[in-house]
This record gives sequence, structure tokens and C-alpha cells, in this order.
Amino acid sequence: MHQLNSIFGLAVIIITGYFGAKLLRKIHFPAVTAYLLIGILIGPRLLNLVPLKIINFSDFISNFVLGVIAFSLGANFTLKDMKAAGKPVIWISVLEASFAWIIVTIVMVIYFLLNGMAIHPSFVLGAAAAATAPAATVMVIREYRARGIVTDMLLRVVAIDDAWCLIFSALAITFATAIGSGSFNSLVIIRSLIEILASLLFGGILGFGFHYFSRFVKTKEELLIVTVGFIFLVVGLSIKLHLSPLLTSMVSGVVIANVSKDSTLFFEILREVDPILFLCFFILVGANLEIGLIPEIGIIGLLYIVFRVIGKFVGVKIGAWKSHADAKIGKYLAWGLVPQAGVALGVALSAKALYPEYGGMIFTTITATTVIYELVGPLCAKYGLQKAGEI
Amino acid sequence: MNTLLSAGLILLLGFVGARLLKYVRLPSVTAFLIVGILIGPHILNIVTEEIFTASDFFSNLVLGIIAFSLGENFRLEEIKKGMKQIMWISFIAAFGTWVLVSAALLIYFVIVKVPIYPAIVLGAAASATAPAATVLVIREYRASGLLTEFLLKVVAIDDAWCLIFAALAIAFANAMRAEVFQISIIFAGLGEIFGALIIGAILGHIFSFLNRFVKTSEEFLVYIFGFILLNVGLSIAINVSVLLSSMMMGLVVINLARENYKFFEMLRTVDAPLYLVFFILAGAHLDFSILYKMGIVGLLYIIFRVIGKVYGAKIGAKISNAPKPIENWLGLSLTPQAGVALGIGLVAKSTFPEFGNYIFTVIAATTVIFELIGPLLTKFSLMKVGEIASTE
Repeated sequence: MHQLNSIFGLAVIIITGYFGAKLLRKIHFPAVTAYLLIGILIGPRLLNLVPLKIINFSDFISNFVLGVIAFSLGANFTLKDMKAAGKPVIWISVLEASFAWIIVTIVMVIYFLLNGMAIHPSFVLGAAAAATAPAATVMVIREYRARGIVTDMLLRVVAIDDAWCLIFSALAITFATAIGSGSFNSLVIIRSLIEILASLLFGGILGFGFHYFSRFVKTKEELLIVTVGFIFLVVGLSIKLHLSPLLTSMVSGVVIANVSKDSTLFFEILREVDPILFLCFFILVGANLEIGLIPEIGIIGLLYIVFRVIGKFVGVKIGAWKSHADAKIGKYLAWGLVPQAGVALGVALSAKALYPEYGGMIFTTITATTVIYELVGPLCAKYGLQKAGEI
Repeated sequence: MNTLLSAGLILLLGFVGARLLKYVRLPSVTAFLIVGILIGPHILNIVTEEIFTASDFFSNLVLGIIAFSLGENFRLEEIKKGMKQIMWISFIAAFGTWVLVSAALLIYFVIVKVPIYPAIVLGAAASATAPAATVLVIREYRASGLLTEFLLKVVAIDDAWCLIFAALAIAFANAMRAEVFQISIIFAGLGEIFGALIIGAILGHIFSFLNRFVKTSEEFLVYIFGFILLNVGLSIAINVSVLLSSMMMGLVVINLARENYKFFEMLRTVDAPLYLVFFILAGAHLDFSILYKMGIVGLLYIIFRVIGKVYGAKIGAKISNAPKPIENWLGLSLTPQAGVALGIGLVAKSTFPEFGNYIFTVIAATTVIFELIGPLLTKFSLMKVGEIASTE
């Protein structure tokens, strides 16, 4: 089929995204959901209006946008705030992530046993269930200008539960391998701990470096150039060194929020330009979504979807109770954790590479459930924040 | 080197380079070009293949933004005031350069006994200027005043003249070479201009009509980028001038509603990184080995192009009674040359099998020189008339 030129293709993305979101707003859909739906519509599976050249840049854009989001999330971790909110953040995030992991894993083990299948994929599926989707959650919060204690806590929880998810998936892969082959290989765990620690360290160093470097910035124009350039650099270097770009970007954001007097300037300038980035990002996510997989979701997928959400809710409840957080947090925060996206897909990808026999099934399940969660998640996040009275 | 890292280095090195070269008073445009040359494939090779393939996309987008912003300078009340002068100056500066460069090269070609028709095409390319570099110099030094105002308008519309001249030149050259005069080439050139104006005007109206839906400042940017891209993409798809259509859209938008200036302002707050990347990529594409092939023809082209611009603008200003500073300094500030000239070179390359490549090489080589020297001359002229606050 005749392909549009890429500029025209990008114009179609932006204009249909813009007006589509306006239209779907009338039926109270958040912009994220609108972008995803439009992405599906104009993507290669339906109207095919997105030129291949742009699709090929999806990875580039998504890595950059996730870097921007993670960096911005770092702003929520100033030392002053953490003194008050540190305990609940840790408790809630650990528990919501581990409960999702444990509950999904147990349910899967039972199901696999009943059906006489090997049980080790269940650990990996459970670990993927721990992940959340910072981008979608942040978008919903921004769009509805949500503010309040639940919003603040949610922003912090989605920021750090990716670290837990990375640890859990390393543990899960180790367990799964141990059960599958009978040998326990602690190397995987050590490697992922190193990945996390190195990401934190590296992000910290870059954050300080940037803080030092930024004194040369004088005008607002330069500020934008340097901030955007810095995020590219952090993400690019992290990928090159096999670190987690999400964690490095976030930590450098945390460092800047804490050491720089004018740190708000960096975050503000990003906020001015990022709506267009988010739009392109989510439309491309939609265009890349494997909607064809939805019918293949099967019972495994359904169990995964249901018990992941249950895990999140139970975990948040207990975490909030343990850390004496506000009752509103225990009640409504979990809604914001329903979205699932790239982090889970990353776990699925490594599972696919590790287990040739079951990897395909794991990958299909996670991808198919991601499609569902991507579409339903933002609605849930919006619902929760509305219930909490913060929209 | 992955593409993200490469993008990060482009931005940060561009910033550092511009900062360092400020000490020797070089404008950022020049600094970006030099950084581009350094990190380009010939020297450090930091720019990845993926970014290189996106260069075209990028330069079309940036030219669209520049031209759209230039449209803002054509408010009707201002047009009524000074349009006669702008028309005279831009026309004679462009036409004079065409004639002068063509004549000089014609004489040279006759003397060395080679076919003379390339002279006409080269002259037409010489009439083009470079809005992007000019605008960036003006912005960087926050220049303001009469010369600045004239300059912004002249670089905006002389591309239209240049397109007409290029169409005429290629038709003439073709007639001399093949002894058939193809009037269709001229029509195609005119079509390119009118098509662009029509597209830009239609999209400008749609833009202004639909912008009632834009509510938050976050939406501004999405909306404006969407339209600029749509306009550029459409223009490329139907083969009309991207620069003219974008300028026309800007012109229509600013004239339809006074408060539309917000869109231009919004654009200005975010476009800096785009310009930086644009010029660094332009630098990375500059091919210095081509300079050896420039020869006497290239030198004649450079010298007579500058003379043509300086005296063309002078005569145009005299005829239309423009103020003295315009008469004396506008021409020199028009020296940057870039994409428009290269575009003509590309057309020549595909139209004339024997000498097209040669024409392209001369234009590309002189563009290397003018890209680097042009912004300096623009800055110099603006300083001379006191429209740049002292940078010391």
C-alpha cells in the first residue's frame, strides 16, 4: 500500500490524537485511553495511516518518554517529603507489588497443577503482575489536575514499585529455572541486584553531574535544550550499560530535586513540552498493541487479570494499615495501580528468551493482558482518584 | 552508540559548543554547524545512521516552523505600510543576483569554451537566501529595529522570487541545451508557488476556525505542531513549496485573529532544541571534500552573489525610498545560503544529465562557505546599524 510521507504521518497522529481525545472526553474517557484507541485505529492492523518509518522510531520515542516521566517522578522524592511519607511509600509499594506477585503465582500454580502442566511459568507471570505503568497513571493525574494525599502517594508508589518488580522478576526467573531444571542459579538474582544498585548509583552520579553542569544554563531556551539532552543521555547510557533506564532517570530526578535550588525549573520546562510527547507515545503504543491476541487470552489471562488486581488491592490495604497512612489511601490508591505496560512486557520478553517451551505462552498472556489493562487501567485510575475526591 | 545517546550528545555538545564559541563572538548557528562537522561522519562519527535517515524529516519540520513564524511578520496593517519597499528590495536583490551571477559565469564559460546554460541555473540558485540561519541570528542577539523588520520580511518572500527564477532558468537552460522551450517548466514553477499559497491559506483558515477548541496552554503546542506538520506533509505530498505554504499559513493565522499571536509565542518557547538539532545535522552533512571541486566557478559565484545582494538591495531601497540603514546594510545581511539553493541544485541534477551534477556540486560547495560565513555577515550588518545590543 502507498505509504504517506513521514511528516504527514506524524501530522495524522497528532491531529487525530488531539481531536480524538477531545471527542472521547465527551464520554468521560481519559486522554490516554483515547490515544490508545486512536493508535489502534490508525495503526498497521486497521487503517494503516502510520508510516513504517515512524513505527520504527517507536522504541526511540518510548524510551525517551519513559525517561522524561521517570525523571519527573523523581521530583516527588524530596528529603523533606520523604521524612513524612517515606514509611507508607515503602510499605505500600512493597506489599502491593509482592501481593500481586504472590497471589497471581499461587493461583497460576493451582491452575497449572489441576491441568497437569509444568508450574514454573507461574512464578514469572506473577512477577510481571507486580509491575505498574507510571506513564498512564501520570497522564491521568495530569489531565484531571488531580491533587491530594492519594495522588501524591500514588505518584511515589508507581515510581518505585518498578524497582521491586525488577527484583521479583529476577527471583521468579531463578525459582522457575530451579524448579524446571532442578538447579538453583543464584547468579540471576545477584545480577539483577547489581543492575538495580548500579542504576541507582549511576543515576545519582549523572544527577550530580547535571546539577553541576546546569549552572552554565542562562536562558530558558538553553534550559530546555540541556534538560532534554540530559534525559537522552541518561536513557541512552543506561541502555548501553544494560541498566534500567526507568530507575536511572528517576534517581537523577531525585538528586536534582534535592540538591538544586531551582530544581522546579527543570521539571516545569519539561511539563511545557511533554503533552505532545505523551500523545505520540501513547498513539504509538496503541498502534503497536497486539489486539489480535485478545481472543487468545484464555483462562490463564483471565485469572491473571482478576488476581493481579486483587493482589494490588489487598497489598495496598495492608500496607496503608501497617504504616498508619490515611484511610483514603488504603481505600483508593490501588485503583491507580491497575495500568500495566512496558515493564511487564520487559519481564515477558526475558522469559521468552529464557524458556523456549513456555516463554511463548508467558509472553502471549502478558501481552494480551497488557492490552486489556492499558485500555481499562486509565479508567480505573481516574475512577479511584474521583472517588478519593482529588479530581 | 545507540540513537538515544547520540541524540543526547547532539543536544549537549551543541549547547557546550555554542557556549564556548560565544567567547570568540561566533553566533550559535555557526557554532552548531561547526559542532555538526566535528561529530559528523567525517570526523568523530557520533551521529547514528538512524538519526541521519531522519535528517530530511527534521529539516522539513524545522523549515516549516521557521516559515510559519515568519508569516507572523506580515500583519495586514504592516503590509499596507511598507509592502512596496519590501517588494522592490526583495525583487531586485534576488533578480539582480540572478542576472549578475549568470552574467559573470556566462562570460567565464564562453572564455573556457564550455556550454553556457549552467550559468543561468547557477544564477537562479544564487538568488536564494536562508531564512533559518537569518532568523536564528536575529533571535540569538535579540536584534530589533528597522533593519531587523525588513530583513525578516525580505527573507520570507524572496524564496518566492527564487522559485520563479529557478523555474525560468531551468526552462531557458533546457531550451538552450535541447533547443526546445518547455513552457510547462515555467507553469510547474508557478504551480508550485500558487499551490503552496493556496494550501497554506486553506490550512490557515482551518487552523483559525478550529482553534476555539484549544483551551489549555498544554494543548497549544500539540495543536500548532499538528498543523505545521500537516501543512508540510501535504506540501511535500503534492509537490509544492514547503516554505511558502508554511509562511502563508502563518500569515493567514496572524491576520484572522489578533490573539493568535499566542501560538507564535508558544512556538518560540520550545523551538530552540529543534533549531540546534537542525543546524548540527546540517553541519554533519556538510561535505568538505566538495570544496576542492569548486574551482574558479565557485569563487565567481560567491563574489558575484555577494555583490548582487548588496547592490540589488541598495537599488531596491533607493527606488522605494527606504531608510538609509536599509539601503546600506540589508544586502549584506542576506548572504546566508542553504536549503533552497540546494533544492534548485537537486532539480538541475535530475534535469540535466551532462552538467547537472556539476551544477549541484558548485551550489553545494558554495553553500558550505555561505552557511559558515553568512550568519557572521548577518550579525555584522545588524551590529553596524546598532540593532544588536552590544554583546561585550
